[in-house]
Amino acid sequence: MNTFFLRALAVSGLMSLTTACVTSTVDEMTFNEPTEGIGDSSVVILGRRHSSDYETEPDFVTCVGDHITSHDDSIRVIDELEFLNALYPWFEPRTAPLYPKNIEQLLQQKPVAEKMLALKLEYLIWLDGSTVRSDGAGSMACSFNGCFGFGTWSHDANYEATIWDFTDQAEVGQVNTSASGQSYMPAVIIPIPIIAPVQGAACDGIGDQLLEFLSSEY
Amino acid sequence: MTSVNRRRWLFALLMLVALAGCGPNRVIVDGNFPPPLIEPLPLTLGVWFGDDFARHEFFDGTKSRDESSWVVNTGAAQVQMWDGLLTGMFDQVIVLNDQPEAGRSSPAVAAVLIPHVEELQYAIPEHTQIKVYEIWMRYRFELVTIDGQPIAEWTMSSYGKTPTAFLQSDQEAVNLAAVMALRDAGANFSSHFTQFPAVQDWLREQGVPADTMTP
Repeated sequence: MNTFFLRALAVSGLMSLTTACVTSTVDEMTFNEPTEGIGDSSVVILGRRHSSDYETEPDFVTCVGDHITSHDDSIRVIDELEFLNALYPWFEPRTAPLYPKNIEQLLQQKPVAEKMLALKLEYLIWLDGSTVRSDGAGSMACSFNGCFGFGTWSHDANYEATIWDFTDQAEVGQVNTSASGQSYMPAVIIPIPIIAPVQGAACDGIGDQLLEFLSSEY
Repeated sequence: MTSVNRRRWLFALLMLVALAGCGPNRVIVDGNFPPPLIEPLPLTLGVWFGDDFARHEFFDGTKSRDESSWVVNTGAAQVQMWDGLLTGMFDQVIVLNDQPEAGRSSPAVAAVLIPHVEELQYAIPEHTQIKVYEIWMRYRFELVTIDGQPIAEWTMSSYGKTPTAFLQSDQEAVNLAAVMALRDAGANFSSHFTQFPAVQDWLREQGVPADTMTP
């Protein structure tokens, strides 16, 4: 039994080093790219949350921001919650501008215009989409002796980034990414999750394209 | 203390712990509500938070309060949010200790705002089978003079939702949905307050310039 248990552990350990495959596609359409980067201006990435049946995950927004700053630390990405609090109530789901032309109306308010100037905001990037889990199958039974069985499920991620030039009050680009992957969880005594990093692949895909737009080094 | 007494104290303590475990799960809504980024109106506003508002709570609508397995207290968070919001919207805000009534003349305020939570609906994963907590509230506002004469009255809704996937517990999910609903209430109120015709008439009477009003 001891040998069997050790083998099971060894197999589990090896399997935990692997991850499931993810298929990812990225479409990009940008114009008026800054030729020498954005200088000392800043960027904010916000999740769209006005839809009733889904909302863009805050951790996905953070992931894209981190991806950009980790590859080019000269780009200042303002934290989403910090921006929402500083500009409250103008970027809440109910009040957030839906089109670039709404920026002009927003800037008519003196405190808002002053705050934007202080933040040196050059680009506002809206992220819209979500990652959903689907197609679950399999079964697993657990007892005091361990777990036995097999489970599988898939994740689909679809996100769209829309880039607004805050100074020109115009949309200057769109990046779409979709990713899907199948995750598995075999269990022989110990359940081993082999997770497809679907959201991570979508984050990298959209982050790379945004880097190409914003950074002078890419 | 004798050993009999010690045993009695221990028994009483155990009973207290057991009884405390039988009570409903209580969520006291807690959040940070930022001040609004708005040009304040050049007025002194009074605000009266009635007991039903300041101690507002909701619980499982299918049961009585005592039978409900959970109670959500929103009153303190309501007062915190509205106090902060109004302080940012007006030059000065005075929280009144007594309700406006005939014969009162002080403190000197342009008007008194009285908020009420008229209705609250919620959806939890047990009801909807989806992992989203939702809270919808309908407020009623009375704007009256310090001696209780009505100036304006209107209703307003607010909505907050949060998926459980990002959160660690149901309590945190309920708290965040309530905080989102309160933030939405503040956003709705502050962006529409000066657009109600009766409020606009009152602001003109107070000599507030039209360009100070939110577009």
